[in-house]
Parts: sequence; C-alpha cells; structure tokens
Amino acid sequence: MTGPPPIEVRGLRKVFRQTTTGQSVVAIDHLDLAIAPREVVAIVGQTGCGKSTFFDLMIGLEAPSEGLIHIGDKSPYADFDLFRGKIATVFQQDRLLPWRSALDNARLPLELIGLPEKEQRERALAWLNRLGLGQFTNAYPHELSGGMRQRVAIARAFAVEPDILLADEAFGHLDEVTAAELRDTFLQLARECGSTAILITHQLEEAIGVGDRIVVFGKSAKLLADIHVADWPKSKYRLLREVIQSTLQSNRPDPRLTQGTNMRSSPRKRGSSRKSSKSAR
Amino acid sequence: MPHEELRESVPVLTFPRQTLVSLLVFAVVWEALSHLAPYLGIPPFAVPSFVRIARSFTTITPIDIAVTLARVIAALFVSFVLGLALAMAMYRSDSLDKYLHPMIRLLMAVPVVSWILFAVLWFPGVEFRICFVLVVVCGPVFLIDTLDAMRGVPRELRHMMQSFRPTTWQFFLKLMLPAIVPTIFTSWKVNISLAIRVVTIAELVGAVTGIGHQLSVAQELFSVADVFAWTLVLVALLFLLEAMVARAEARVLRWRA
Repeated sequence: MTGPPPIEVRGLRKVFRQTTTGQSVVAIDHLDLAIAPREVVAIVGQTGCGKSTFFDLMIGLEAPSEGLIHIGDKSPYADFDLFRGKIATVFQQDRLLPWRSALDNARLPLELIGLPEKEQRERALAWLNRLGLGQFTNAYPHELSGGMRQRVAIARAFAVEPDILLADEAFGHLDEVTAAELRDTFLQLARECGSTAILITHQLEEAIGVGDRIVVFGKSAKLLADIHVADWPKSKYRLLREVIQSTLQSNRPDPRLTQGTNMRSSPRKRGSSRKSSKSAR
Repeated sequence: MPHEELRESVPVLTFPRQTLVSLLVFAVVWEALSHLAPYLGIPPFAVPSFVRIARSFTTITPIDIAVTLARVIAALFVSFVLGLALAMAMYRSDSLDKYLHPMIRLLMAVPVVSWILFAVLWFPGVEFRICFVLVVVCGPVFLIDTLDAMRGVPRELRHMMQSFRPTTWQFFLKLMLPAIVPTIFTSWKVNISLAIRVVTIAELVGAVTGIGHQLSVAQELFSVADVFAWTLVLVALLFLLEAMVARAEARVLRWRA
C-alpha cells in the first residue's frame, strides 16, 4: 500500500489586498514546514495569525503569493483536480447540506469522485455506523444535535479515506465532553486510515492531546516553535502548555522549549500504534 | 420523524373561516346590488345577478382555458430555463454580469403594454407574440431571483463544497441548485400570477383563442356576466396553479424544519 505523500511548505507567503482600504496585508510571511506521511500535526496560534489562510492554501482554494506547497510533488492549487478524493476537511461548523440526510451528506464526496451508487451507500453507512450514527442515517441535519452533526461531518471527511485530513477548529464550538470524545474518535480514525492529519486549533489542550507535533504560529504565520510532543513526558504537559502560551504571548520562542529536547531520555513514541490498513474499507 | 409529520400536515389551498365569511359578504352585497341596480340608476347589465353569471358559465369553452393554460405553462418553462441558464452564466462570470445586469434592469422597467405593442409590430405570428411577451416579462424575474439566491448561498457551504473539489457542473448540481430551490418556488409563484395577468392582455391583441380573446368578445357584447365568468375562471386557474406549486414545494422542501 502506498501511504500519503509528504508535505513540503517552502518560503510560503500570502498577501491579501484589502478591498476597502486597498492596503496589502501579509497573512503568511515566508513559512517553511515539512510534514511527514501519517503525522498528526496541530497548528496553534492566536486569532488572525494566518492559520485559516494556511488552511485555505493547503486545501488549494487560494494560490500562494510566493513560495510553494507541495504534497508529494504536486501543488494542491495548481494541480487542484489531482487531489479530488485525496484531501478531506472538517470545519469549525459542521457545514452539512440541510436538504440532505445524514447518509446523503456523508456520501457527498463519494458522489464527487464518481463511485458507483451502491458503493457510495455502503461506505457512507459504514462510516456513520463507526461514528455511532447508524440509527440516524435518514435524519436531516436540523434533527441532529451539534455533536451528531459534527460526527456526520467527520464521517463525510473519512468516507473518501483521504491521504490528508485537515480540521479547522473542528471541535472548538462543542461542549468539553463531546469535543474530547470526538477528538479521540477523529485521532483514532486518522491513525487507522493512515492519513496525515493537520488540525488547526486555538486550544492548547487539544493540540497537546492530539498532535504528534505542535506547530506554533506567531504573527503572519511566523514559525515560532515546532514541538515534537513525544519529547515531553506526560508529567510535563502542564509546563508544555505554559511554554506554548508564553511563546504565543511574546511572539517569540520561549527559552524553556529547549527543555523538550533534553527530555528525550524517556521518549513516548506517540502514534506508534498506527495501523496502516484502511480499516473501514 | 418530524419531517414525515410535516409532509402530512402542510396545508395546501385551505380556506379559513374568515376567508369564507369575506367571500360570502362580497357575494351577498353583489347580489343585492344586482337587484337594486334599477332603483339606483345603474344599468342592469353592469351588475348581473349570480343566476345570469351562472348562465354565462355554461358558455365557457374549455378549449380556450386549455389554450391559455398551455401558453402560460410553456412560456413559464421557457422563461425559467432561460432565466436559470443566464443566472448560472452571470454567477460564473463577473464581466458577463456587469454587461447583462443593466440590460435586464432596463427590460424589467418596460411596461407590459409596450412589450405587447412591440410584439405586434415585430412579429406576425400570434403564438410567438404571446410567448415573447410572457418570456420577456417573466424571464428577468426568474433570472434576478435565482441570481440573487445563488449569491446568497452561504460562503461556508461554498467553501466546504469547493474543498472536496467538485467539477463546475457538480458544484451547481449538488450545491447551488438545491440551495436555491426555495427561491425558485417563490419565483414560480410570483411568475404564475404575473403570467396569468400578462397572457390575458397579450391575448386581447390579435389572438382568436384563449381567455383573453373571450374577454375581448364579452367586452364587445357588453356582457359583464361573461366577463365576470371568464375572470372567475382566470382566478380559479391561478389558484389551481399556485396550489400545484405549493404542493410540489411542500414535497421537495420537506427537509425544512
């Protein structure tokens, strides 16, 4: 089985022109980042730091002003159609189509890639069942709770068994218990699918709890820190949280970040239990 | 499921008590007026009794109703297809929108009577004239309504859809069209009412069939009873078409809370 391709971001710059004032705004200023196949990367940063712009660039909805994003050796923007069925997204709001049932929402990306209808149904049903929505396949979004709707959105993303999963504040609007539960499910499914997952979040607990790596963005997506969570023992997570917070507040790397590398004597290999098989197939 | 209940309970063409009372009051006043007309100095033919109007109903020719109905439905379908196709093209192309929008607004500002006169002067065929007038009046309404509705589709949904990389056709078919269906139904309801009124005026000029033509004949014969009867037929036709659209709307939009 071929795994997901590596992601390379080199010299990425994105400048927007404000329509009202005509002024240029640098959303991302020369970002370099490499993401290995099957890695789970949490991107944290303050509001307006360019996280969502990075998300749009990763999806391929925006063109970089300078630099490049390569997934494998292809650009998600220039080679837009090549990534059909390869990249899936979960958004902050569920963004379900209100006129479609849960099942029809989950199978939407499968329709777009042109799978036979029977296979669409079977796959979407399998994912809805996995996410505990087997009883609600015919329900319309307005008949479901917020958590259930987000589960449908997750099923929709996983239905295509994508190489790359992108989640933009996907659990931030849910209550803590539902968010934690969905986060765990998301992570487990991503690992079972063998997908590379990039989660954008402003919640540090979520980033620490989910990511193999935590990438900290400063203003204009300046790379302030690239933390391998496995380098930090669980007992030091509180310190890690403080360090990330301090990095975000000062907009420069906290000196204590180097402690992480000193803790490698007892590394916890996160993500080692990943299964490469696409279990829901 | 709630939507199952909704499907059963959607009221189509219901008559509440107040409606029946107001119609009854109108009928009683009209009938009284028809009997009192000679004493009030009103010519008897101007306010015919319901018995006279009922007699006029026996002279109603179904073929004229069918012809008018066919003209309305055909023209509405042509207007809808043209309006939707142009709206999709204008949604896709900003420059096309910038060129066409002022022209559409201009067309919408032209009075129906002017269109009828233009049609009479430009086209020899009666059917084409009527169709032209209906399309030129109803088409822009469909176009503007659907274009506005497309622009009103939430950015979040467009963004979500684009993230799954649909083709242009899939984008319209899976997102835009279903999203604008409520507006399409509203537009149909508005245009049915508009088309029924416009077709009557269009048929007054040159047509030898249809309700408009029969109204013209009744006017020449000074038969208010016939005018009343044909007008009631038109109103009934309008209610019937609206009820059909409302029923279709209730079925198609049963997903709505």
